[in-house]
Amino acid sequence: MSNGLQRLNGRWVSAVLVTFVLLAPLMINDYHQSFLLQVFMVIALAQAWNLISGMTGYVSFGHAAFFGVGAYAGALFLTWGFPWWLAVMKGAGIAALLAVPLGFLTLRLRGPYFAIAMLGLNEVGRVVATLWVDVTRGGTGLTLSPELLPSLDVKYFTMFGLALGATLLVAWVHRSRFGLELRAIREDEEAAEMVGVNTTLNKVIAFVLSAVIPGAVGAVYVMYTSYINPASAFEHARNIEMIVVVLFGGSGTVWGPILGAGTVMVLRELLWAQFPSAHLAALGVLLLVVVLYLPGGLISILRARQQKRPDARPGESP
Amino acid sequence: MDLLEPDILLQLLIGGLLAGMLYALLACGLNLVFGVMRVINLAHAELMLVGAFGAYVLFTVFGLHPLLSLLIIVPLLFIAGYYLQSVLIERVVGRPMLTSLLATYGVSIILINVGLLLFSADFKAIPALQGSFLIGELAISKPRATAGAISLLLTVGVYLFLERSRLGKAIRAVSEHAQVAAICGIDVRKIRMLTFGMAAAMAGAAGVMLSVIYSFWPGSGVDFIQKCFAIIIIGGMGNFLGAFYGGILLGVVEAFVGGFASTQWAEAVAYLLLVTVLLIRPTGLKGVARV
Amino acid sequence: MNRRYLLSSLLSVVLAFIVFPAATHAKDIVVGTSVALTGKYARTGQEQLQGFQMWVDEVNARGGLLGQQVKLVHYDDESKPETGAKLYEKLITDDKVDLLIGPYSSDVTMAASTVAEKHNMPMVSSGASASEIWERGYKNTFGLYTLAEIYMDQILELGKAKGLKKIALVYENTAFPRGVASGVKTKAKQLGMQIVFEEEYGKASTDFSSMIIKIKAKKADMVIGGSYLPDSTAFMRQAKENRLYAKIFAFAVGPGLPDFGQNLGLDAEGVMGNTQWEPTLKLPGAKEFGEKYKAKYGHEPGYHAGGGYGAGYVLEAAVKKAGATDRDKVRAALFALDTVNAFGRFKVDATGKQIGKPAYAVQWLGGERHVVLPAEAATAKVAYPFKDWGKR
Repeated sequence: MSNGLQRLNGRWVSAVLVTFVLLAPLMINDYHQSFLLQVFMVIALAQAWNLISGMTGYVSFGHAAFFGVGAYAGALFLTWGFPWWLAVMKGAGIAALLAVPLGFLTLRLRGPYFAIAMLGLNEVGRVVATLWVDVTRGGTGLTLSPELLPSLDVKYFTMFGLALGATLLVAWVHRSRFGLELRAIREDEEAAEMVGVNTTLNKVIAFVLSAVIPGAVGAVYVMYTSYINPASAFEHARNIEMIVVVLFGGSGTVWGPILGAGTVMVLRELLWAQFPSAHLAALGVLLLVVVLYLPGGLISILRARQQKRPDARPGESP
Repeated sequence: MDLLEPDILLQLLIGGLLAGMLYALLACGLNLVFGVMRVINLAHAELMLVGAFGAYVLFTVFGLHPLLSLLIIVPLLFIAGYYLQSVLIERVVGRPMLTSLLATYGVSIILINVGLLLFSADFKAIPALQGSFLIGELAISKPRATAGAISLLLTVGVYLFLERSRLGKAIRAVSEHAQVAAICGIDVRKIRMLTFGMAAAMAGAAGVMLSVIYSFWPGSGVDFIQKCFAIIIIGGMGNFLGAFYGGILLGVVEAFVGGFASTQWAEAVAYLLLVTVLLIRPTGLKGVARV
Repeated sequence: MNRRYLLSSLLSVVLAFIVFPAATHAKDIVVGTSVALTGKYARTGQEQLQGFQMWVDEVNARGGLLGQQVKLVHYDDESKPETGAKLYEKLITDDKVDLLIGPYSSDVTMAASTVAEKHNMPMVSSGASASEIWERGYKNTFGLYTLAEIYMDQILELGKAKGLKKIALVYENTAFPRGVASGVKTKAKQLGMQIVFEEEYGKASTDFSSMIIKIKAKKADMVIGGSYLPDSTAFMRQAKENRLYAKIFAFAVGPGLPDFGQNLGLDAEGVMGNTQWEPTLKLPGAKEFGEKYKAKYGHEPGYHAGGGYGAGYVLEAAVKKAGATDRDKVRAALFALDTVNAFGRFKVDATGKQIGKPAYAVQWLGGERHVVLPAEAATAKVAYPFKDWGKR
């Protein structure tokens, strides 16, 4: 299949999906609309993770930390009387603010140590939320009264906007010089340095971008559940989902996370109410399958028939 | 403040030392695997829980005392680890460390959730050893003292094995330089399987000890793996004695933080230490990290 | 070719999922609830569900509610508030239940009640008692339990009467235990007693030894725990190991369950606790419920099972009074209701908070749980002081 036809397919599919999303609220009930909202959330988070881990090769095991920060920030600003969209922006903003120094500090570490540091940071986030009782009310968590919350449609479209924005961001980065430099870092960081790429700045920018989105997503999520506590804000399952969705779909690509999100969400919906542990166990199996047999993810199966694009190789390097 | 009374401090210290011995046993196992094959086993704490739940099942179904179930669990987990290595871990040994991290992460997720399916999320405990030894004013918890002593014995045993026995020396040779060891005729693959088996057995033993002291559920491993990371990163990755002293140190620090601050702060110590060390002093680690 | 095929089939699967119609219940009245069946609150959640299930069986045997059979839809919220919130969302918008019963525990109820309020659907809550649930201006949460804040009042008064002064207070960092603790602090101040030690612990905390060592140092006369079952059990075990002694040990929730005595054996002797209800109380139907429950489940019901059962009866009374399952009518009925059933009296104030029901204190004596306070309802005399560990 040639490039031209491929692009046409991509555009056709996107158009259909977007139309469906826009019309859906008129056709389906609240519960299914919430399901789609959660699909968008997973896509947005996955693309954000893709930005740092897929494109630069710095695989984060604790990105849910930014989600948690955004969730708490959003909840707090809502209770302090700010309008919802401002609360979302604040969530994103605070996540980004934290990501700057953390990025500089953590991105000095190589591969597995970066992963472990991020894992630790997620826990630190949880610990801070638990111990900073005056602000976060600790283990009890925060409930948001219904009058503070926007309608389901508003949340639905906002989350869709975030998913769309994240995907477009990844697509843009993919094609830009910035993306080229990131991929250079992924392939061989020292060589990239030698060629003149400012690896530190590039990495940090990617990191901050990958933190902004979960921050916003967290704030919208908390408006959807109307409840947040340290355990749910910094949940391990979210980290696992981010990793598996992207790796399974195909990391470093644009459509990979979307495919992965679709698969995982269908799996989740079938299992979550009756067998919650089965869902996560299945994710673990998927992760193993990907690592051992399918490092390129689902996308690599689809691309097997096409000519190989040199920069489409997904990353799994240190 | 009354806390500064010597017998209170002594009580905290002893509690910390005993807990630390358990941590040391666990961390040394993880460290061993890293040293020999440069694999960070994220599922190590779940292997520990396999031991804990195994002891639980043996206790509730057969009435077997946990100390006796050690005799069953340790060899079983050795065999399990040996085969897990050959089936799974071998495939990721030569590859970048991140790959093994992801693979073992997958294993840990599977183990946790299978555990949840089998045992659900309620806390389980084994009330086999109860009460305390009284030494004057000092009350030393029986389960903790027993668990601490056995953990210490096992750790020392492994250390002596590594130092003195031929097989132990072969293991150390492989961790120092696998290629040279191979040239010298050592079956490196077998050594790796043996090492992983030993680490799994150590984790299983730690699990049995755990079951006697604390209440646990399939998700308990998450805290322990972070403690292990904190221990081996501070003690020096690949350094057996470092992991040993680090484990004991963590136990004592946790006890004192719990005493002077609160239980919740004590629970946070390992995470805070881990993140602080990684973020503030990476240069010391970059040397090791360049594998 | 392949790719388009794959993507369109994915699309169809997703679409099929969305458009698949939800099953409708035209004939039955559906009651929905989520209860902790796993996780820290599992035992208490199970008891609550079982109690409620008994009401369902009884009402159906009598011909149903308003002539229709009652069907129970329930899920497991894993003792997690966020899961509870999602499940109540599902019950209301997907399963489209007619009536709602609240989950177990105040923190899960906090989250679930927000969802109920969002959809303006009344929820009868039997498993929650923290005042803050009713201090948010909501109109859809109706409580059965006596408030957490007064749980320990009678026990504190007992301590005062015996001349005790120093209290050590420990509690979990969630809604209900904090409610108990705040009540203890208020009452202690009133009685002129002193809180010499206070510490919060996490939901997942299982190691209380540092805390216990500190309490020993403070030489407290009374140890009070705002706890659930696993923590109160672990605490007493560790108290024994560390030879912590106090003249009164009292915990929330834990001692109210048969498991407490089972797990601790002799070590439970003398431990006091609160209870919302006991099968020995002189309430209409309490004894029969106790016997039926024991016959079915093999052990006597604790107050969690009683609460589940009582919630069913409250729901029945409200629906009968309203004459329909319409939300507004049921809500109005619940506000106006003043009724007594096997669990006790149900009467709420304008916020939905329970004001008609008293609290009781229990103590483990001779391997059994007895009501000891207030004296009118007691089945045994209070054993005081707590016997020292070495002398048992």
